[in-house]
Amino acid sequence: MRSPSGFSAQTLSVLSALCDEPSQWRHGYALARQTGLKSGTLYPILIRLADRGLVEARWQEEPVPGRPRRHLYRLTADGVTAATAALATASLTATPAPPASRSALTPRARRGVAIPGAS
Amino acid sequence: MSPLSRAAARCAMWLVPDERRDWAAALWAEADQVPPGRARLAWRASGVRFVVREARLVARAASALAFAAAAVWLVHVAWPGPASNPATGLNRLTVVTLLPALAVLPLLVRWLFGPVAPGPLARVLRYGTYAAVLVLALAEAVVSPVADNPAAAPLLNPDAPSPVKDGMIATWLNQSVFLFVVAVYVAAVLALTARRPRVAPATVAVGAGTGLLLGAVMYAIFPLGLTSSVTNPLLPGFAAFMLVALAWILLFAAPAFASVVAARRYRGLRHADTAEEVGPEQLRKGRFLQGVAAGFLATAIGALTVAVLGTATVALMPRSGWLLARLYPGRHLTAAAAYLPELTASVRVTHYLLVLAIFPVIGLLIGLGGGEAADTNMPPGGGPPPPGGHEPIPDPSAGIGVAADDADAPLAA
Repeated sequence: MRSPSGFSAQTLSVLSALCDEPSQWRHGYALARQTGLKSGTLYPILIRLADRGLVEARWQEEPVPGRPRRHLYRLTADGVTAATAALATASLTATPAPPASRSALTPRARRGVAIPGAS
Repeated sequence: MSPLSRAAARCAMWLVPDERRDWAAALWAEADQVPPGRARLAWRASGVRFVVREARLVARAASALAFAAAAVWLVHVAWPGPASNPATGLNRLTVVTLLPALAVLPLLVRWLFGPVAPGPLARVLRYGTYAAVLVLALAEAVVSPVADNPAAAPLLNPDAPSPVKDGMIATWLNQSVFLFVVAVYVAAVLALTARRPRVAPATVAVGAGTGLLLGAVMYAIFPLGLTSSVTNPLLPGFAAFMLVALAWILLFAAPAFASVVAARRYRGLRHADTAEEVGPEQLRKGRFLQGVAAGFLATAIGALTVAVLGTATVALMPRSGWLLARLYPGRHLTAAAAYLPELTASVRVTHYLLVLAIFPVIGLLIGLGGGEAADTNMPPGGGPPPPGGHEPIPDPSAGIGVAADDADAPLAA
């Protein structure tokens, strides 16, 4: 289900996680842990955000010996603007959800994690 | 990374499209960072789901199964038959050449022109063309034993084509030309809907839409094979001349319209990944290509539509009382009485080969002119860009979010 911001609840949770420290490069697993999303949901979201130019990705330059290189992600300048606006819209329009629709909330929101930009 | 995991990663990267390979590799590499045990297993299992979705494995498997089922059906219908009827050998030739060609052509076109263009339209046109060609082959396999039956030769007009009169060399040559033309159709549609030729989705839509309209009008006039006059028994005789004239006008007007509209509408393709800008020279060439592609598609799809619908109608005629009653309302045709119209229509169906062979050439020539004419009438640089900017190649996975019901349960980290 889409929120008025135009992003799904899962996408908003990814944007929120990336917004925590917009200048920092983040790993997929760290984002998955923070958002509570599985890899099969997280990566399609990252792909679509990257296709829209909201997220940039690169490979780790100095991998840990014996381990494969990791892919890193962070918001672009456009991404920061879009994420801030979307999260603000989402927080403004958020209403207490009835128990039946609680699953539509982001896992992070369910755990009571603050969304940046929310008052 | 264990050898098994490395093999799985390699397999995943081979399956997903080129532009998704980095992401599949990233997902698989990241599995090493997940604590071993259930969490890592869950990461990989969800990763398999990602690969299945990005590689469109379900759609690929479904289309392969559908093709296999249609191939089995075609073999079942076309292979049997008496050795005395020349159509039996011709139908077997169709089976042993057309089915392998349909299976190999996508691989060949992918190698030459790249994978299928993004967006649903390219896939719909490809699936539609395959379905049309298979139905045409099936209907042809049903109709040709009637038309080529040596026992029916004395009933035919002296100028009607028949293996008995024309000889087997001419008959085999005729069938070989038919198969070659069908293979060219499939190859052309596959190439125009591939990524490298950069045919815009709007061009495919205009060309295919105009082609369907042309085919529908042609079918309404010539549903029971092609002759110099109307073959639709439902149409009034006095309108026959005007309708035939309309069909000929449409044959030339449809590709001209499609090519001019496609060329004028084109403002350049901008790929989401590269965001490359389109220069005036590139725009001019692109516009010309869109005009040619739309002109060709309009007539090729039109010819394929009328050939498929017409041949299928004739194939169904003796088997469907409902169809016979629709074609000849108010007349109670016994099986014996229905045989002559069926035989006549079966012979006339062979003339659709002319339509299949000539229409696309006309469309191509008109498209060449249309693309050039549309470009010379446009202001330098193609005029102002459209309100939304250049036409993007649509994202196959349009939409930014994943639907709530499509999401996984939270990861137990």
